[in-house]
Amino acid sequence: MIEVLRPGLQTTVQDAGRRVRSLGIPAGGAADAGARRLANALVGNAPGAAGLEFTLSGPTLRLHADALLSVCGAPFDATLDGQPFPLWRAVTVQAGQTLAVSGTSLGARAFLAVRGGLNGQEVFGSISTDLRGAFGGQEGRALRRGDRLTWTPLPAAQPPRAFIDVDLRTTVTAPHLLHVLPTPDATPDLLDSMLGQPFTVSTQADRMGVRLTATVPAPHDPARVSVPNVPGLIQLPPDGRPILLLPDAGTHGGYPTPLVVVSADLPRLGQLRPGDRVTFQVVTLAWAHAALQAQERGLRQAEAALRLWYGR
Amino acid sequence: MSGPTFMLLGDAALVVGTSLARELHADLRARPLPGVRESVPALNVLTVLFDPLHPDCNALEDALRARLAGLHPRAQGGGRTLVVPVTFGTDVGPDLAWCAAHTQRTEAEFIAALCGLTLEVAFLGFTPGFAFLTGLPQELRMPRLAAPRERVPPGSVALGGPWAGVYPRATPGGWRIVGHTAMKFFDLSQPEPVPWQPGDRVRFEALP
Repeated sequence: MIEVLRPGLQTTVQDAGRRVRSLGIPAGGAADAGARRLANALVGNAPGAAGLEFTLSGPTLRLHADALLSVCGAPFDATLDGQPFPLWRAVTVQAGQTLAVSGTSLGARAFLAVRGGLNGQEVFGSISTDLRGAFGGQEGRALRRGDRLTWTPLPAAQPPRAFIDVDLRTTVTAPHLLHVLPTPDATPDLLDSMLGQPFTVSTQADRMGVRLTATVPAPHDPARVSVPNVPGLIQLPPDGRPILLLPDAGTHGGYPTPLVVVSADLPRLGQLRPGDRVTFQVVTLAWAHAALQAQERGLRQAEAALRLWYGR
Repeated sequence: MSGPTFMLLGDAALVVGTSLARELHADLRARPLPGVRESVPALNVLTVLFDPLHPDCNALEDALRARLAGLHPRAQGGGRTLVVPVTFGTDVGPDLAWCAAHTQRTEAEFIAALCGLTLEVAFLGFTPGFAFLTGLPQELRMPRLAAPRERVPPGSVALGGPWAGVYPRATPGGWRIVGHTAMKFFDLSQPEPVPWQPGDRVRFEALP
């Protein structure tokens, strides 16, 4: 059992999310899917096992049983009973020990995996917490002091000595170059204003979306009918401040959406932090697919090597 | 019927414009296409989210065209009918008087007109369990509020543009609120947490 001594700013149970957008239910899931997969692989879990996602300031957790843990993502400062706790590798933690995660000066989120995977309320095939809907995970909310979390035990295993190569980690350093594909909403004027300038991430940045501060001349069409959103979509509300959609975004939207961030850059959206600078660069579909395939090759190699270690 | 249109949205979604969006969605759920993760309908639109690691967009488009060619518009009367009991009145429907006046009816006449309609679930979206209901005649289509309310109480029955709907939970909202229902449209304690789906017919019934 994990006891929450201090919850951190916003710590939620997340997994790979759900696929029931057609019921109006957001996808959910860890905002940095790469960190989620690598953290799970390090402790011998399936890639979609549930763990804890923390944001900007992490939790303090007491372990009431031996466990194998890993933390991947932004470079949070973490200690285990006061000793430095390394990120990007599997660490054996003994019953009674306390993991204290404080802040990070770069990026926004990290994912903590427990060998076996966390338990929580399952809704439509996922135990990801939907904060706005107040369901999933730990009573549909962020962790609170005093919460107790359980996991599904797996046979104990020696942690691999391996650590995750820097090349596989989601980039957390600004300025962020985000690769995008234009949509039919992208008029030449709009492209001109969105591609020509850096934007700054505002303080309105959560699991639903990240608002940028600069304004662009947004077309306004009140008669526009809501259409389905897709991951990475960039919405342009009438005030002209773009919104990057994250996993908890609503399933449909009625604003123009001139650009979509390519799949390979989606994990990076989960690492945008207020004040970070962001620029957009248009790429071709072929480039987007090649970038994703290269990224996926690396992730799968790491996952396969770790599966081999754990004998699966 | 004009032919379907296909448009890529990013590197992992294909937007199909077709009057058979709902039928295609049902077909893809019944007989999944390889590489398709999920599909999401809206009005005359089906967004097909596919695995971007194995993108053969042309093959996907061909497969969807083939599916569409075999589909027919769902016959009227295919779906279920839900009766939604509604309390009308200015205390729970702050825009009822405005809407009645806008249609040059008394409140009682307005309520009777609304309850006399058979609406249809066009698609779900916005928030879990929220349904966009079609079937409002021109004279019952209400302009949205100039400034949305920051908080619409759960259960609010509302009209906005061509749509009617029920807010399943407290959210901001810009539609005109005419009443309240105690019926739940997203209830995880129920075997069917979302009780309606596209194609279902809906009638509002005025509670005394």
